[in-house]
Amino acid sequence: MRTRLFTLLGVMVVIAAVTVFVRFARTDVAGQDSSAAPQAGAAATPGPAPATPWGDPDLQGLWSYDFEVPLQRAARYGNREFFTPEEQAELDKERARILDESDRRYPRGSEQDVGGAYNAAIFTTHKQTGRRTSLIVDPADGQIPPFTPEALKKRAEIRAFQLALLQATDVCRNKLPGCTGGTYGPPSPRRADAPPHYLTVVAAGGPGGGGGVINRSHNPEDRNLGERCMAAVLPDFGGNTGFFLQIIQSPGAVSIFYDTGQGQGWQRIIPVTDNPHLPPQVRQWWGNSRGRWEGNTLVVDVTNFSPKTYFQGSYENLHLVERWTRLDAGTIEYAVTIEDPTTWTRPWTVKQEYNKQNDYANRHYKEPRCHEGNYGMVGLLAGARTEERAFAAGRGPNPATLCTAGCGGFAAGFGDAGEDSNPLTR
Amino acid sequence: MRRWSTGAMIAVAVAVAAVSALISVSVTRNAGQETVPAARTTDGRPDFSGIWQANNEAHWDLQAHDARPGAVTQQGVYSYAYARVPAAPVLALGAAGGVPASLGVVAGDGQIPYTPEAAAIKQENGEHWIDRDPELKCYLPGIPRAMYMPYPFQIVQGTNKINLAYAFTSTARTIHLDKVEEPPDDTYMGHSVGRWEGDTLVVDVTRFNGKNWFDRAGNFHSEALHLVERFTPITRDAIRYEVTIEDPKVFTRPWTISMPLYRRLEPNMELLEYRCIEFVEEFLYGNLRTEQLVKRWEGETIIVDITRKVPPGDKLYEWYRR
Repeated sequence: MRTRLFTLLGVMVVIAAVTVFVRFARTDVAGQDSSAAPQAGAAATPGPAPATPWGDPDLQGLWSYDFEVPLQRAARYGNREFFTPEEQAELDKERARILDESDRRYPRGSEQDVGGAYNAAIFTTHKQTGRRTSLIVDPADGQIPPFTPEALKKRAEIRAFQLALLQATDVCRNKLPGCTGGTYGPPSPRRADAPPHYLTVVAAGGPGGGGGVINRSHNPEDRNLGERCMAAVLPDFGGNTGFFLQIIQSPGAVSIFYDTGQGQGWQRIIPVTDNPHLPPQVRQWWGNSRGRWEGNTLVVDVTNFSPKTYFQGSYENLHLVERWTRLDAGTIEYAVTIEDPTTWTRPWTVKQEYNKQNDYANRHYKEPRCHEGNYGMVGLLAGARTEERAFAAGRGPNPATLCTAGCGGFAAGFGDAGEDSNPLTR
Repeated sequence: MRRWSTGAMIAVAVAVAAVSALISVSVTRNAGQETVPAARTTDGRPDFSGIWQANNEAHWDLQAHDARPGAVTQQGVYSYAYARVPAAPVLALGAAGGVPASLGVVAGDGQIPYTPEAAAIKQENGEHWIDRDPELKCYLPGIPRAMYMPYPFQIVQGTNKINLAYAFTSTARTIHLDKVEEPPDDTYMGHSVGRWEGDTLVVDVTRFNGKNWFDRAGNFHSEALHLVERFTPITRDAIRYEVTIEDPKVFTRPWTISMPLYRRLEPNMELLEYRCIEFVEEFLYGNLRTEQLVKRWEGETIIVDITRKVPPGDKLYEWYRR
């Protein structure tokens, strides 16, 4: 029991960090408190797009996005780029209903129930539905393009390893979605192997075995980048925890602090320069940015990503072309073309609208920081060692049969499928 | 005596070489021209935008000190403090593991006015550097320490706010020139509010959480720390950086440190990542692995076995083995 508690504690600490962060989220769809809801960014700060005293377009300020738009479009909308206002209102009503009523949980006392003891509400965005049906504007169907054979092979190798480590657990015995593609069986000898590729947040196993984590805690490297406090990635579209961007610029540089991922924020400097990119042997987690002004738009070319970088299946060959345009006083349009011929069969483009936030409100956007309080990692590793000792002494189950890979999912929130699933992604 | 003096001499020689390299650069720059005046923004303020770095030994120890054979030392043949030898963690690094000498950056008499209790803690901190220094854990370094760590940082001077981005662990702070709310909690990097006094940028920094150090010598402060930083241009490529340090829980009076910050003049200079979180996972969690990578953990204590092999063909060893 103590071991369970230990493992659970680790997860809870991570969650506590999220809670602190999410407390700042403002629009509450479920609450429908219109007095607390923010005005649309553009309406809050009207006026034309400003320029800096030295004549560049002015991107400065604290930015976020006020509306929820899924990355990929739900299939039923086909090639349609925008919702009607009636559809937006209907979707908000449905999302609020599900989140209000949801009290899903796994069978009492099951491992999934214990693992999912925390309420999913905090991981569920409560922003109002935006106008766009998807952030992806190209291809026209709003979907991430198909993977290349090379990328599929790599993903399959990681997935096979993931399944091997899950196969002796309840997730596979009960045929939960997390075990899709796998079967229930005795502990795999692969449990002693090194992972086939550097682990990031790999192809998710889905609810009941999800998060893309492997079911093992032999060392910090077994855990995903989020648990290691290194989840921040470029490009960043916010996800369930959202983000704030603090932009400050001078004539030769645009600096952006990305407050993202529960205290996993990072500092980005975009040099406005004709200098060539870094030499190819210099690789960075967030790549190497080169900016230039094209009319009112800051165009940024990003290369030199590290093999440890992970974005939607892409690693070191990721290439971004970002376009930052201040449309008016309250709005930045961010468009990014994402390319990696070793990962996708064609480039794809995402558009997101950033809304200006109040500069006076000093959001806690650089801290708390994940790493300084990463009790979760210690809890996970110490818990796993305790479980091993208990098993060796005949006092506990074989650790290979236990699941520590986010196997419970979370209670409440949207369902995995059917009527209670998120209507924006269903 | 001979053993440590050799190490110290090498360290001094390296330091001297570094200093002379610096001097030759500045001499070249000044030979054919007058001192270059400070850059200005469009509204006439000094423009501090650019990549900067302190070029001193303050990150080792704010106070004047002679060269030491290692960042951690142990008693050697003699019992004298001046005859200590490198301790195991840095022994294998040879002369690269030493601490260069410095005239110090503490103004006035060079003393840090600790209360007696705080002085004892500082002493202990220094003796337990590897156990205690938050820098080794890749924690946010705090201010002023981030300003003189041996990593570059970039100033992006905007219209209402100034951003300082540090290479070390990709951290940053904003100096607010405009009105802004107090932060909701105490912080590692502090809350910086700036104003101009003529050509000097004066920055008031408060709201620290008290978990940072000033240097690797164990100098420390509490959450009551209050800084007043002063940035004044010397030339286009140098800033006079001064900080008045006040912390009534640790010091008996305010004291001041002062140093130049130098512009990194390489034409292709840019801030590169030093994302040290992954570098310290072994340091922080190694004892909790199933199979330990660095041998000899005893519980939570790392005892590192050091291997230094003599490479084949080493002339000195070939000679004495005959």
